[in-house]
This record gives sequence, C-alpha cells and structure tokens, in this order.
Amino acid sequence: MRGTLIFSGSSCPTLTGKICENLGMATAEAELTQFSNGETSVRILTSVREKDVFVVQSGSPKINDTIMELLIMISACKGGSANKITAVLPYFPYSRQSKKKSHRGAITARMLANLLGVAGVKHVITVDLHASQMQGFFRCPVDNLHAEPLIARWIRHNVPNWKEAVVVSKNAGGTKRVTSLADALKLNFGMVTTDKKRGPNMTASMIMNHLDGIEDQPLPDSLVDQVCTNGTGLENGTSNGENGQRRASHSMVDAQGSPRRANGPSVRTSGNAWSRQTRGHATPSQSSAIDEQDEDAETDGLEYNDQRAQEVTHGRLFQGHIVPDDFPSPATSAADASITEEDPMTMSHTSSHFAPQPHALGGSGDAGASSDEEDEILKDPKVEHMITLVGDVKNRTVFIVDDMIDKPGSWIAAAETVVKRGHAKKVYCIATHAVFGADCLEQMQACDCIDAIVVTNSYPISEAKARNASKLVVVDLSFLLAEAIRRNHYGESMSPLFLHNGD
Amino acid sequence: MSGEMANEIKLISGRSHPELSDKIAKRLGVEVARTISLNYSNQETSFTVGESVRDEDVFIIQSTATGDVNEGLMELLIMISACRTASARRITAVIPNFPYARQDKKDKSRAPISARLVANMLQTAGANHIVTVDLHASQVSMGSTIQGFFSVPVDNLYAEPSFLRYIRENFKTEDCVIVSPDAGGAKRATSIADHLNTAFALIHKERPRPNVVGRMVLVGNVEDKIAILVDDMADTCGTLVKAAAVLKENGAKSVLALVTHGILSGNAIETLNGSVLSALVVTNTVPLGDKVERCPKLRVIDISPTIAEAIRRTHNGESVSYLFTHAPV
Repeated sequence: MRGTLIFSGSSCPTLTGKICENLGMATAEAELTQFSNGETSVRILTSVREKDVFVVQSGSPKINDTIMELLIMISACKGGSANKITAVLPYFPYSRQSKKKSHRGAITARMLANLLGVAGVKHVITVDLHASQMQGFFRCPVDNLHAEPLIARWIRHNVPNWKEAVVVSKNAGGTKRVTSLADALKLNFGMVTTDKKRGPNMTASMIMNHLDGIEDQPLPDSLVDQVCTNGTGLENGTSNGENGQRRASHSMVDAQGSPRRANGPSVRTSGNAWSRQTRGHATPSQSSAIDEQDEDAETDGLEYNDQRAQEVTHGRLFQGHIVPDDFPSPATSAADASITEEDPMTMSHTSSHFAPQPHALGGSGDAGASSDEEDEILKDPKVEHMITLVGDVKNRTVFIVDDMIDKPGSWIAAAETVVKRGHAKKVYCIATHAVFGADCLEQMQACDCIDAIVVTNSYPISEAKARNASKLVVVDLSFLLAEAIRRNHYGESMSPLFLHNGD
Repeated sequence: MSGEMANEIKLISGRSHPELSDKIAKRLGVEVARTISLNYSNQETSFTVGESVRDEDVFIIQSTATGDVNEGLMELLIMISACRTASARRITAVIPNFPYARQDKKDKSRAPISARLVANMLQTAGANHIVTVDLHASQVSMGSTIQGFFSVPVDNLYAEPSFLRYIRENFKTEDCVIVSPDAGGAKRATSIADHLNTAFALIHKERPRPNVVGRMVLVGNVEDKIAILVDDMADTCGTLVKAAAVLKENGAKSVLALVTHGILSGNAIETLNGSVLSALVVTNTVPLGDKVERCPKLRVIDISPTIAEAIRRTHNGESVSYLFTHAPV
C-alpha cells in the first residue's frame, strides 16, 4: 500500500510479519533496544514524513515495557511528522482494569487510553475488548474487531458434530459473549457459575436485603429481565415453598410476555432435598434456556418431568476441583452442611452470582471482571464452593467460551463440572486472548476434562510453551487485522469484518 | 471529619524505593499511607489506596529502580490516576530520579523526545506538581529543558548543598580541585568550585554512541591535588572511571567522584572496583540494593532531609528556594 508504514513492537514481530505479508509489504524498520539502566530506546530507521503509520503491539510478560515501547514509538513517529498514527493492539493491555473495582482503585484502562492520545495516536484498532464500553475512554475512533466470526468458522470446519454442541459460559458475566457465539452457530447454550458455600446461619432477611441490593445493581442487559423475574419469584417463595413455585412460574410468564411453562425442578445431584432450594435458581436460567429451546419445549407439552427439569446440576468444588458429594466438608460439620442444604432460603445463591462483591460502591454486576479474584478464591483450601451448571450437556460437545485465558482455575473447574456432573462428551476451551499467565497452559494441558484449547494469536504465545501443548489450537487473526488496516487506509467500511459468512 | 483534619500531607510510596519513603515519612513525622500494589499473573500492575485521600494533599514518592524503569513509571502513573479518581485535592509526584531524562532532545532524525512524553504522561495521569532532584540537562548552563515540557510546576531540587557539606566535612578545600567529566557539566563543577573557593578543571570527551566512551583530554591542572569529579548521574561508570584514570595520569593525588544519581547499571560495580577511583559518593535518589555491600568504594549521602523539607514547604505554601543553597541538617 502506497504511503503506508507498518511498524512492529518487540512483542509481536511474527503477527506483524503475517499482517504485512497479507498486505504485500515489508515491516518498516525500527531499532528497539533498552539502555543499560532499563530505559527503552527507539530508533525509527525510515522516513515517516506524511505517511500513514500503523504500530502493531500486543502484550508480553513484561507488559509495562511493552506499553512504554509502544508510546515511545508513537511519539517518535509523531515527532517525525507522520500524517496519521494508528495503534494496532490485538490485545489491549490493562483492559480488565476498566472500572473502579474497589474504593480508590485505578481505572488504568482509561488512563492508558489517555496516554495513547497524548503520545499522538489518531486511531486505535483492537480485538475483543474485555468491556466494549471501553471505546468510550478514547477521544479518537476505536475499531473493536471481533474474532468470533473466525472462531465460528474454525468450529464449523474442525469440530465433528458441532451442530450438536452446547456453548457454555464459565461465569455469569460472560453470558453475552456466549449467547453471541451460540446465536452465530445456532447452538444451545448453558452457564456454569461458582459461589461460596453458604453458612447455615443465613436468614431470610439477609437474603431479601441481598436481593434488594441486586436489583439496584447494573446488570448486563440480557440478564435484567431474568433476574427481576427471579426476585419476584423469591419474594413469594420465602414463606411457602409450594406456593412460591407456582408464583414463580407465573411471574416468569409475565416477564417473558408469552406463555411459557416453568418446570418443577427435580434435580439430579446428591439426593438431598434439593428440589426446594434449587427452584429459585432454576427459574431465571430456565427462562433463557427456554428461549433457546422453544421448539423442544412445545413438543414436551406440559409434563412435569421433562428434560428441562434436569438442566440445573450442582457440584462441589474444593481447591479448584470437583469432589464427590460424600467428600468431607472442610469448613462445616456434616450436620451443619445438611442444615444448609435443606434450608429453602439457599436460593439466594442465584443472586450472588450476579453480584460477587455486594458492597455499596465496589460491587459490580459484571462477574467477568472479577475472574481474577475468583481464581484466587477457588484455590483457598478453607473455602468450599458450590458450582452450578445450567443447561443440558449430556453426551454433547461443549464449547466453554470467554474472552481471555489467563489463569486456569475457572476453566478447569468449569470443564470438570460439565464432564463429571453434566456428562459432556468433549470439552473445547475457547478464548480470543491467550494470555496464559504462569503455568496456566501446562495445567490446562494436564487436565483430563479438556480436549482442546482454541485461541487466536492476538497475544504472542511462546514457542516453547506451544510445543508442549498438544491440545492448543491457534486461529490466525492476521488476515482480519490486515484487512482492518487496509480498509482504514483506503477509508472503506469495516462492517463486513463483523459478519459471519457461513463458509 | 473536623475542618482542621482535612487537607493534610498524605505520603504514598511506590514499590521502587520504600527505604527513601520511610526516611522522608520519619522526617515529616507522618505515616506512609496504606496501599496495595501487586502484579497480576500477566504482570499488569494493580494499585489501590487503602485509606481515604479525599481532599488531601497527596505526595507520591516513586524513584526508578535500575532495570525496572518502565515498571516503576507505569506504577507511578497508575498511583497518580488512582488518587485522582479518589478525589485528592492535589497530587505531587516526587520523582527523585526522573526517568528518560537523557532523552530530552531530537538529536537524530526521528529520535523520540521520550522525556517530553513522560512529562505529558504524568500530567495526563493527573499530577499537579512535580518534585525531582538534579534533573538532567544536556547543557547545565541552559537549565533543564524538561521543566519546560511540563505545564504544571516542577521543583528541581539540588544535591549540591549536600555535596558542599560532604566536601567541607571530609577534606581541606584548598587541597581539592573540582573536575567536570564533560564540557556540558562545566557549570555544575564551577558552581561547586566557586562555593568552595577551589580550582577547577575539565575533561573533554568524545562520545561516539550512548554508554560508550571515547578519547579524553584534560583541561586544567590537578597535580598533587585531590581531584573531585562531579556529575549528575553515574550509569555504567565508564566515563567516570576513564576520567579518573586521565586525572591520575596527570598527577592527581587521589580521585573521587560525587554523583547525584547512582544508577550503576550493567557492570558498573565491577568497573568501579577495578578503577583508580578512591570513592564514589552518591545520594540515595535511586535504590542501591546490595550495591553498597558489593562495592566498598561506594558512599551514600542521604538526600531525604532535602526532599522532606521540600514536601513540607510545598504543602505549607512556603518558599522552596532556601533548599537550593542549603542542605537541611
């Protein structure tokens, strides 16, 4: 392309090379080194005057060095009188810090957006931002590309019987991503959620307070109506279980706007008095499941014990792994545990999925953002967790989907749940950004319940790591990025890049 | 919540140089604020202030540890941003050793002016005021251009008063000659020489590339004198050691060096240990780690009284210029 220069940061020379190959040009020359004191040194070795400059930089284990290098490269190009500078960030660093998670925490993603602007960026191209609202942090235009069409294509071409598969979200916050992929492939979807096992001393009022708080929380759009439905059901359900069940189903009908039958949940798990306590839990998830499975629901008629009723499955999670139901509880005595399990109020855990930190300012409805903390807690040997699978995955292939793989805990827990509790046939872990912190890839490779790990090359994966990971599949993004660069340069529309074209 | 309690000094320390922060805090009689700094598994930095900074006068102390410059800088930016979001009244970044200070000019085609970028970044993050020590200037006589990169006030403190005291306390001034290791630092050296009423010399050097030292020529007389080299930073120490050798060849009785920022990267310690320098005196603007143990020639002057006093005066709205000529005891 005439008048265009593509520079590569030190994090992703391979990806940039592929992008340039797609565009039929060579990567522009720059010398990227460090002074002996650790300061980054950048030398742009070719004239950039009046050129359309693209700087490609992804993440790396030295993320702050990577960012400084990017900023200095941009600044150098600006100082060298470039016409327009576009930052191409397949993985946007600090994208998980896009809101105040605690009091006085930093919104680093916004600061980074400002820093890019200060350095001289006029346009940003990125892929699958952790929170797409982040585009609002920038003063310049942002193209947030989606890897989903490429992943969907990979699934259609490479997964046998993919039409029978189920897409599963490993936390409530990621449901939107999952439904999007499920829609694209016309598949059913499910959800796995984890929460702390409740103590026996939780009272009804506590739960109601909890729920009141929930309704004030900002929720992902797709979940709002379902949770409200749940809240209504619960208010009735607290005094009388049987009555509450009927009322819950009524209110669901109202909320959905069309008559749908809520099935009495008879749940296959430990064999305790589960039916009462899981009722509130089942309702919201079922309503969405029914959306997906309209056809099924109609053919099943009004029978009480149909397939829907078995969609909610519980498991016990201890130190990040599924344990048998007779596994001794680490925190509470057996007696306490049974009290807990028979407490009809335990339906409160539905709500706690949506608000993992229910304090006034720091709490957020987005469980996806807290996945880091979630992983920390999963490893705590003192805390046992309840993991819940919503949706039928028996003898099916399961796609567990999220935007990035950083820590392995929640992936392994979700995979074990769908296999050991849900009896899934095969498990594919699918994400756009393969961050693979610490020994994440090794642990996922070692997990028997995971059959494949499908990621893109938005984040560089070291060859040494990739060589030992036979389950790893890397989908190439370079064509998507090259096309975005080309369309940007010529002022063409980007919309076709967001479409699924069914090939 | 009383009115008198509001707007006090809040001292926040980055992870790069906690010892300096503790000394400053002790000097000011305040506690370092509780904070949580950590790195995620993918090395992204996360920072949370553990106590309220609403309407407070926040001073964030962050030096730049050798080798971890970018890490320290990003942490500083995130700290500033967190305090800004937490409604601090004023945020002063105390950066004893300003990062990227040497990249302050476009000396080649398309060379980045990274110091200006850092200045812009600090302001974008939300810093209202900068306190630093001996800001690097390519030509000392022209002052530091970096101050001009900021549109917020920059207080550039000097280690010179501390150095003057050190020389007066340890040597007879008439035995000394102050030497600048390069032409650019001549003003710094003459200033010290004038204050001490001693002789002055200069070494002219050719520097083909950064961190590489070329040929050196001495201008002035150092025979039978204690030659004291003064400079603003000692990085790989190649310049200093070579200059010391030149001074020794020209008949200096002994050679020592007074340097503000002891960056001491690469093989600096080995270079120093094998050199003719009798001592390298640095301030503690940069964390030195175990370098003092590894290098018997290394002496450290504590700069924290000067910084603490600057913080106190800034907070109270008093003049800082007294500190340019006097080192607090």
